Amino acid sequence: MTAISTDFIQLLSPLGERMPHADFDPWLADIDTAALAALYEDMVVVRRIDTEATALQRQGELGLWPPLLGQEAAQIGSARALRDDDYVFPSYRENGVAYCRGVGLTDLVKVWRGSAQSGWDPASVRMATPAIIIGAQTLHATGWALGARFDGADSVAVTYFGDGATSEGDVNEALVFAASFQVPVVFFCQNNQWAISEPVGVQAHADIASRAPGFGIPSLRVDGNDVLAVMAATRIALDRARTGNGPTFIEAVTYRMGPHTTADDPTRYRDPADLAAWGRRDPVLRLRALLERLGHLTPEFEAQIAARADAVAAELRAGCIALPDPPALSVFDHVYATPHAGLDRQRDEYAGYLAGFDAAPTEPTAATQPVASTPKGSL
Amino acid sequence: MSPIRVFALPDLGEGLTESEIVAWHVAPGDTVTLNQHIADVETAKAVVELPSPYAGVVQQLHQPEGVTVHVGDPIVSFDVAAAAGVEADAAPGPVTPDVTPAETPVAPAAPVAATAERTANLVGYGAETERSGRPQRRPRPGHAPTPRRQPAPVGAAPSGLAAVGTDAPAPAPSAPAPSAPSAPGAERPRSTPPVRRLARDLHIDLGQIRGTGRGGLITRDDVRTAVAAPAPGTPAPAVPVDVVAVEPAPTESGVRETRTPIKSLRKLTAAAMVRSAFTAPHVTEFLTVDVTATLDLLEGLEQSRARTGGAHRVGILALTAQALCIAVARTPSVNTRWDDAAGEIVQFHGVNLGIAAATPRGLMVPVIRNADGLSLAGLAVALADLTATAKVGSTTPQALGGGTITITNIGVFGIDAGTPILNPGEAAILAMGAIRRLPWEYRGEVALRSVLTLSLSFDHRLVDGEQGSRFLADIGRILADPGQVLALLPGR
Amino acid sequence: MTLIDRPMSHAPVRTPAAAPVAGLTETSTLTVAKAINAGLRQAMIDDPKVVLLGEDIGALGGVFRVTSDLLAQFGPHRVIDTPLAESAIIGTAVGLAYRGYRPVAEIQFDGFIFPGFDQIVNQVAKLHYRTQGAVRMPITIRVPFGGGIGAAEHHSESPEAYFTHASGLRVIAVSDAQDAYSLIRQAIACDDPVLYFEPKRRYHVKGEVVPQLGEPMERAVVVSPGTEVTLVCYGALVATARDAALAAADEGMSVEVIDLRSLAPVDYAAVEASVRKTGRLVVTHEAANSGGLGGEIVASITERCFEYLEAAPVRVTGFDIPYPAAKLERHHLPDLDRILAGVDRVLGR
Repeated sequence: MTAISTDFIQLLSPLGERMPHADFDPWLADIDTAALAALYEDMVVVRRIDTEATALQRQGELGLWPPLLGQEAAQIGSARALRDDDYVFPSYRENGVAYCRGVGLTDLVKVWRGSAQSGWDPASVRMATPAIIIGAQTLHATGWALGARFDGADSVAVTYFGDGATSEGDVNEALVFAASFQVPVVFFCQNNQWAISEPVGVQAHADIASRAPGFGIPSLRVDGNDVLAVMAATRIALDRARTGNGPTFIEAVTYRMGPHTTADDPTRYRDPADLAAWGRRDPVLRLRALLERLGHLTPEFEAQIAARADAVAAELRAGCIALPDPPALSVFDHVYATPHAGLDRQRDEYAGYLAGFDAAPTEPTAATQPVASTPKGSL
Repeated sequence: MSPIRVFALPDLGEGLTESEIVAWHVAPGDTVTLNQHIADVETAKAVVELPSPYAGVVQQLHQPEGVTVHVGDPIVSFDVAAAAGVEADAAPGPVTPDVTPAETPVAPAAPVAATAERTANLVGYGAETERSGRPQRRPRPGHAPTPRRQPAPVGAAPSGLAAVGTDAPAPAPSAPAPSAPSAPGAERPRSTPPVRRLARDLHIDLGQIRGTGRGGLITRDDVRTAVAAPAPGTPAPAVPVDVVAVEPAPTESGVRETRTPIKSLRKLTAAAMVRSAFTAPHVTEFLTVDVTATLDLLEGLEQSRARTGGAHRVGILALTAQALCIAVARTPSVNTRWDDAAGEIVQFHGVNLGIAAATPRGLMVPVIRNADGLSLAGLAVALADLTATAKVGSTTPQALGGGTITITNIGVFGIDAGTPILNPGEAAILAMGAIRRLPWEYRGEVALRSVLTLSLSFDHRLVDGEQGSRFLADIGRILADPGQVLALLPGR
Repeated sequence: MTLIDRPMSHAPVRTPAAAPVAGLTETSTLTVAKAINAGLRQAMIDDPKVVLLGEDIGALGGVFRVTSDLLAQFGPHRVIDTPLAESAIIGTAVGLAYRGYRPVAEIQFDGFIFPGFDQIVNQVAKLHYRTQGAVRMPITIRVPFGGGIGAAEHHSESPEAYFTHASGLRVIAVSDAQDAYSLIRQAIACDDPVLYFEPKRRYHVKGEVVPQLGEPMERAVVVSPGTEVTLVCYGALVATARDAALAAADEGMSVEVIDLRSLAPVDYAAVEASVRKTGRLVVTHEAANSGGLGGEIVASITERCFEYLEAAPVRVTGFDIPYPAAKLERHHLPDLDRILAGVDRVLGR
């Protein structure tokens, strides 16, 4: 079993003890019991979304699902620190972040059902469509932040990526650009210890957070299963960005408790002892323990949270199953913003081809253009 | 909706086609809740827990443990009405079968329609499962392909078409073993798209035309010629002089022409001939001749040449060529062309004599221009040149065009007689058989004589039987008694 | 700010006890994925300079399990789980080749090849030429390609034409278990760089595998003989095309299916021989129409066989669109019906 590095900032112990921290505590002054309860609800609901979506995949309703089980604190703690006018550039596992940004439940699973390639309108929730090519989004966030700096806005770009992504050229180039132009961007690395089957040690020979200073970017390493440490760190980074102090790198040390995706089998490469050890560091349970210590964990409160989670799960399931298949010809939509003669022709030809399946033609030649992109006319 | 829900095995991960049911955790009659862990399923990639898609009572397990199940096959049925209204329908909202790929309501007693479910389950999820049965396309009522043409649209040899489903190897139901790429033996006739179009419009089978273009390419003129000429018919030629197309190109022939309008009777006859083009276009006549005297003459000429140092030996072919030219003058209708497009009969006022020759590039018909203007020695020289050129394969396209009548010497193959096929655009073709020493009537007694058979095919549209017979008889008379030439020579 | 300067210990890789496995010795029924696995194993037995590198190819055995158990047999110096960086995978393969290794790089999914594109087209493809033959690049780059598995975006791409366009690369696409086995061995043995495309949606299709090298990889093969239409295909669509030929036969049409196998170079002699016989050509691929390999084949065959063609050649391909969402991919992918519509077209039906 791998030793868990605890060389990070922790404000909430796995047992739910609140650990004082002189630098971080001031950033959490507004987090009272009600705020803690709200964070707890978020985390429970997001976990429920995750398990429901995993079940939907097993039941054939989703093609694939990338579980975030174990990363709830990293996602909720950071996302709840953002302002509405900030902009998120995520990877594909940030469904907890998307929930916090106000993405609809059905929109959350659209991509994974294969109904669309983007589940939401990025502009309305201020969150880009997830990048599946690893690390690509970090450059997009840097560019967005460059624009924000040019515009004199105090909005911040926050980009999420994993430990594996830090090996990609794009992420390293993003760090170079962000430092060069001192743009308001937060690099939020969820080190969940695994790039599919590869332990983080394959990607990094030293802690990931230690890399950023080499690029001239200050970094923070926090317990990613501690929602309070994550939130404080994110607030610090956001503040630096808003006040013209450039980029910050956060490494949130967490653990991917589930498979990489529903198509993965972690038993082939993961020590069950590791899983058990990280299970004792569960982000939801430790916040629950804190609430219990604070006397807030009443049966009524628990029932209320459970009901909320059930309702969200039911709504997610119903919305997912009711998602209509996109119409056939929509396959041609939105390739270009302006009309495109070549594609228009392919669409017309395919429409004619499909029409042939429907009914007897009125004109024998009307619906007999079967093949895409072949010249019309006689042979 | 029926209270029974059948759950089909979904693709559990990126293109899997099958999975094994490792263990069932429920049995028929068990009440289950939504997402309750009901089975363990092992795919090629992982063992996964299967959560129940419904709340209800397990009605039937369609697959036992340890069995490998194809994606889309039903594995378990639920009675959801038995769940007493609690999440009786796990899929609230406007659910249609199209958007619930894994769910197919069936009547309780109905057998499970595995095939339909498999199809329904395919959309966007997982690799297409192996289809059972022979593949077939979906019906497209709005698009009815035209029935298979008989014969094929363009240029497909009728035999090729007939081959479909008969002797041609239709793909076997099981996947045929890979083989080397097809041998280039069965190549198609070569032409160009506009010419193929022309041939299709004119109902000409390119497979039956020999091209005269570069490397044997079938040209537009070849197709037009094929229309004008009697099509190859029955019986099949017994000699390698089967089907030859030469460029008629009267304007290139360099021979004066007279054009006679095709009158109504001729036109009707011609139409009938065209209609019967593929059945009986030719008339072929045979004449066996005692050529002993001719051979004596040729022998004398050869002795004379040896003394005088003449250029070339005069052979039987040269003499026959001269006899043909003389006979043409008496029967000009054998030296004509049917010009269908113009609606005219073209009378050639000179003889461009085609000589069928076997060459390394196949059968060719180079032409001796203005053969009727040559002396016997001149013909011999021309024949020698032409043969030499053809044998090394350097015959030019110009030398192949413009023939008006043809001789083929099948005797060199040891053949006695045959029914030669006309060169398109020509009215007659003469085949010379082998010279045989045979017992023959000579001066009232049987003697051993040198005998050969002449076979003449002619185009019955242009040449009447009497004309053809006279023409053949004239040639025969000359070969039988060369002195007859004097009697047959026209006045000059 | 907390900065850490402490080397991290690698998490232990759980390596099953090494149990040497012999190569394939007798005819066996294998899935395509397992056939590639058997071919890789044989190549590694035959030549100790053959090393595999890629993401998740070790303990996991690759996301499609193509490299299953190879780590256990050959150890971490020959089956290398790399950091997550495609450009680095290809670039370090170049370095290994400089030292005389014969690297086999796995690109996990087709859409992930593009971060490594620069190294492939600028370095791998050109080094032999630039050094006047002094440096060889016997690199094999394995790429699962094509759609039809209901995947998320960037997981169903058909990028082959980018590479057939890049001189210096050989490009192979296999369609069944036998070729998967034989051609991976040939690709690895080849002294030129080879892009080896694997038919992702056929990974789990079983077939008989004879442990032989078979036909040279640059040869196309007729997988279904016919007389009236030549249907050219490769990769996953070969099975679809064979089905189409069977359905066509039932309708009285005789279709000859050619599996190209090699996309660069294309075995034009084989296609030409078939088209000279049939006079009609249909090319099908999943990749987009414009700039696709189909256009190249149609142009080349038209140049070579213009005088034999009975009809304008037809391409049946993916549309000129980014690969669509899973629920729409069946429209984008050529299927039996669309292929037969192309066959109808060249037959003038």
